[in-house]
Amino acid sequence: MMKLILAACAALVAGAAPAAADVLSQVKEKGVLVVGVKADYKPFGYRDPTGAIVGIEPDLAADVAKRLGVKLELVPVMSANRIEFLQQGKIDLMIATMSDKPERRKSVQAIDPQYYSDSVNVLLSKKAKYTNWEELNGKTLCATSGAWYNKEVSAKYGVNVKAFDGSEKPLFALKQGECIGYLYDQTFVQGKLIDAEWSEGYGMPLPGILEAPWIMAVKNGEDAFAKELTTITLDWMKTGAVVALEKKYGIEPTDYSKRMHEQHKGS
Amino acid sequence: MTGRPLAVLLPVASPAPRSFPKLTLVHCVGIVGALALVGGAAHAQGAPAAPSAFEVIFKWSPLLLQGFLFNVAISLLAMTLGTVAGLALGLAQIGTNRPLARVAWAATQFFRNAPWLVLLFFAMFMIPFQFRIFGYVIPFPDWVKAVIGFSLPVMANVSEILRGAVRSLPSGQWEAAESLAFSRRQTLWRIILPQCVKRMLPPWMNLYSLVTMATVQASIVGVSEMLTLTSEVHAAEGGRPELLAPLYGFAMLCFFLYCYPIGRLTQRLERRFNVKS
Repeated sequence: MMKLILAACAALVAGAAPAAADVLSQVKEKGVLVVGVKADYKPFGYRDPTGAIVGIEPDLAADVAKRLGVKLELVPVMSANRIEFLQQGKIDLMIATMSDKPERRKSVQAIDPQYYSDSVNVLLSKKAKYTNWEELNGKTLCATSGAWYNKEVSAKYGVNVKAFDGSEKPLFALKQGECIGYLYDQTFVQGKLIDAEWSEGYGMPLPGILEAPWIMAVKNGEDAFAKELTTITLDWMKTGAVVALEKKYGIEPTDYSKRMHEQHKGS
Repeated sequence: MTGRPLAVLLPVASPAPRSFPKLTLVHCVGIVGALALVGGAAHAQGAPAAPSAFEVIFKWSPLLLQGFLFNVAISLLAMTLGTVAGLALGLAQIGTNRPLARVAWAATQFFRNAPWLVLLFFAMFMIPFQFRIFGYVIPFPDWVKAVIGFSLPVMANVSEILRGAVRSLPSGQWEAAESLAFSRRQTLWRIILPQCVKRMLPPWMNLYSLVTMATVQASIVGVSEMLTLTSEVHAAEGGRPELLAPLYGFAMLCFFLYCYPIGRLTQRLERRFNVKS
């Protein structure tokens, strides 16, 4: 009896060890690509009333699956567990609004070129008719305290920054007229502008600054898969797939997506 | 001297049992009304174009209720698994095998005094997402891991409930059984444990209510249960702050409507079995 239990335990341990085959061939063998996406980040990944996860990143994931000729399975991830899931092999690919940081590149394999980029922008009242950052000199912007760019923007463009905790308080202050705009992550501003509540009186007329690219990632050492994904990303840039998706989900195409499309159009 | 006997000569009168305030339809209407007020007031602040909190909850209720059923399923499975394991552990605790009883006692104390969330984290991150046995791949999705995570504290608590119930029986029961030539095993299974069942039932049901309410902690480790879905719905609705209270209020209402009857039933059983808690 004891021997049997020991044997079973040994089998379990042996079984739990990661298999040697590379992810790409495993995916093709299983016929399913498992992609980790966000489910709480509109419009990049969010739930529809049927419970399905939709958005720009799920669409990109679907395109990858289609090109590989396999079915797609989406797994909702959070910032706290996305890298863990990838390392465990629970997801094959991560497209989950992850900013490019050196320490992240050590734990997972990033796909270059970066598929998307966030930047810093302003949710500006439509009454303020400014189209470039220099015009904001001496004006007051609301912001979230602790955002790394507050100081830089204030120093560079002579903006008075009025910082509040979180993202709801500065938005409220903006509505109360305490400032002419809200300085924050561009993707957040884009998300707000999908809502009629904000798009009526506010816009995003300035170009984004201080770009912070987002990376797709696979498990470390999955070179074949990474190479395949690089090819796919370059093709997205060539065809303008990301720009098209931004339009599909009702957000203003980012400078980064437009620029990449311009660069790779002819290639 | 008056004709009345001295107070000290009167039989000890136990204080009249305070009846459990009964939740009537009026209370339900009150709760729903309060929620409506919160939702309505918040709505008044929002732009006229935005849908009201009721419309939002109505639109998403199938998904949210599906999430709630998931919570219920996790709680039922964790309770089943935990009870089976807990009874075994409890029996080991009161058993005559000294080393085994010690180990069972230690395990009970360990899992009973560990925060549930910590146990959940351990279950989540220590158990692989799939096992491979003899070429078969057995997947271990998150919710299974959550079930295991919640069943650990259930196990320890059931073990203690069993031990407590056995200890609470007067020792005369054991002595009488012994004098009637019952073996220890027979005494335990035919005399002691049957009497324990009714003593164990109320605390066991209490524990179930606690487990059900604790299942929302699984949202912290990324299981798509009701609370996770609630926050995702909030994001999908553009993260409007005025929707927070109604959406989470709806989740609260679901749990209340599920757990309150269990609480009532527990009280009734306690009264019926007349077990002093």
